[in-house]
Amino acid sequence: MLKNILLIISVVLLSSCSSTVEQLYQKVDPRPSVPTDQENLSTTQESVIAPDSSSFRPQEFAGSHSRSVDQNNSARIAVAKLKNSNTKFVLYFSYDGSEIDELATQEVIKHANFMRDNPMLNLRLEGHADERGTREYNLALGENRALAVKEILGLYDLSSRIEVISFGEERPIAQLHDESAWQQNRRVEFIYQ
Amino acid sequence: MTKLLATFLTLYSATAFAILEVTILKKSEDAFPIVISPFLVKGDAQQGESIAHIMRDNFNRSGEFSASSADYVITSQVDFDKWQTKKVEAIVIGKLEQVSKKIFNVEIELLDIYSKKTLYSKKFAVHNSGIRRIAHYLSDQIYFALLGKKGSFDTRLAYVTVTNKGRGNREYRLEIADSDAQNPQTILRAASPILSPVWSPDQNKIAYVSFKNGRSEVFIQYPFMRRKTQKLPYFDGIASSPAWHPNGESIVLTLSKEGNKDIYSYHLKEKKLTRLTSDRGIDTEASFSNDGERIVFTSNRSGQVQVYIKHLKTGKITRATFAGSYNAKAVFSPDGKSLALVHRVDKDYRIALLDIATKDLMVMTQNKLDESPFFSPNGSMIIFATNKDDSGVLSVVSILGLQTFELASKAGEVREPNWSHYSK
Repeated sequence: MLKNILLIISVVLLSSCSSTVEQLYQKVDPRPSVPTDQENLSTTQESVIAPDSSSFRPQEFAGSHSRSVDQNNSARIAVAKLKNSNTKFVLYFSYDGSEIDELATQEVIKHANFMRDNPMLNLRLEGHADERGTREYNLALGENRALAVKEILGLYDLSSRIEVISFGEERPIAQLHDESAWQQNRRVEFIYQ
Repeated sequence: MTKLLATFLTLYSATAFAILEVTILKKSEDAFPIVISPFLVKGDAQQGESIAHIMRDNFNRSGEFSASSADYVITSQVDFDKWQTKKVEAIVIGKLEQVSKKIFNVEIELLDIYSKKTLYSKKFAVHNSGIRRIAHYLSDQIYFALLGKKGSFDTRLAYVTVTNKGRGNREYRLEIADSDAQNPQTILRAASPILSPVWSPDQNKIAYVSFKNGRSEVFIQYPFMRRKTQKLPYFDGIASSPAWHPNGESIVLTLSKEGNKDIYSYHLKEKKLTRLTSDRGIDTEASFSNDGERIVFTSNRSGQVQVYIKHLKTGKITRATFAGSYNAKAVFSPDGKSLALVHRVDKDYRIALLDIATKDLMVMTQNKLDESPFFSPNGSMIIFATNKDDSGVLSVVSILGLQTFELASKAGEVREPNWSHYSK
């Protein structure tokens, strides 16, 4: 609960001085122009984007209703558009951390808007860890990272459309054993279905 | 001497077994010196030789012995004076006779060089498919005759191997092998990760974590029976990190019901779930003490990753580790007095031994990424996995003398070794 409150506070602070969740809603809906400056974003580590294939996986959609080919195509196009709008589909974390920083929160809010605009899409959040430390602890840590993202999206009533998975340290993006590889591996991936 | 032995061990494993290799890294000077003579063989010589080889490897790996061969076959006329001047304490001699194509008679005798007495002798018939098992069994018998305590040789390992299949595909295998990592058998193959294999106390089952359904779930496999793999019921979120209660009736595991990772106990017959920890942070990697009265687990409840012990009768939880900022994946020693755990030293993760009462922590390994320590059933050795030259390696470190032996996979990575209990 405390964690929830803290998160709300941090989100609220970020959305320039609003004080309640309701106001936050108004701020982002109708869709805001994203208040961060793109130049700053693109120079940070967060600007690395996952390969296209991993952001939309219609074949894994396991909802109660199945979609037609047309619906799948329009979903795919919607996800591609979101990508082209310079929205991050991978968020990165500090060592042993699952906190979402300011810039990353802005990215999560973009996804929240996207999900509200595309109610037929579900989101799968895959949490990952770097290889340091024990495998089982890292499995738990990866889930915490994905849950931290889900917690923000939950403020937009999207929880029921979100599935959280952790792979711990088992699916590294970078195979080397150094800090730059570890940075890339401590992540949450957004996969629409 | 050391060099000779190392060369010998490497040679032996290179010719006999392709997958894993034994290499001595460090040798203790005060280990108990014994000679295991080449056996006198009538019939198929090669089969018989392997018994003496396997026994020497076993004794050297324990850290308690320095076992060497003789350059000729020692028969029952032992020159005790000569071996005394060579500072050998005991000699093992043996005889192998081929009875039929696949049956051997084995005779073995352990002699004390100083008292000139026979400490152990045995004669029996063995099928050639049982040669390795007999070598481990005899190692345990001789170990007991010399030290008065049980050996850990006639036991099994379980571990996970990973090979790169190209284009980002990996193959995970759950393997079991003899205590010296020889004679490996694959019992499960998967394209998705396999984690945390653990032998049941009766050695008939292995609990492990599989991602085959897209998320971590706990399964129980029966490697020696025609019986279907059992899946623990679906719990929301993560289900992981299984460990058996010493009575084999329940399993502790980590569940993330409501997103909160805590430790639960699941009774297999009664299908009953009991919550053992409830903390906002991560609680995971639980395992039991041999008497079943305590569990040890990893938690970040203090803000750091540290090891805690819960006394199940009183419900009291105490922090066990205070040295360093990261201690995890602890297991109790068989006597319940110490813990083997993963300890962070600067940027490296190493295996350490913690005395629970005094809180003394001794770092036992020197690599960058050591993981998953587990005691041999008699507590004389700790097996662990490490990352070296971009591949995983299984190693054993002896508590006495701190000798490290590598059991390295050439094919790919080897991870998460678990040591079975004593054979029955």
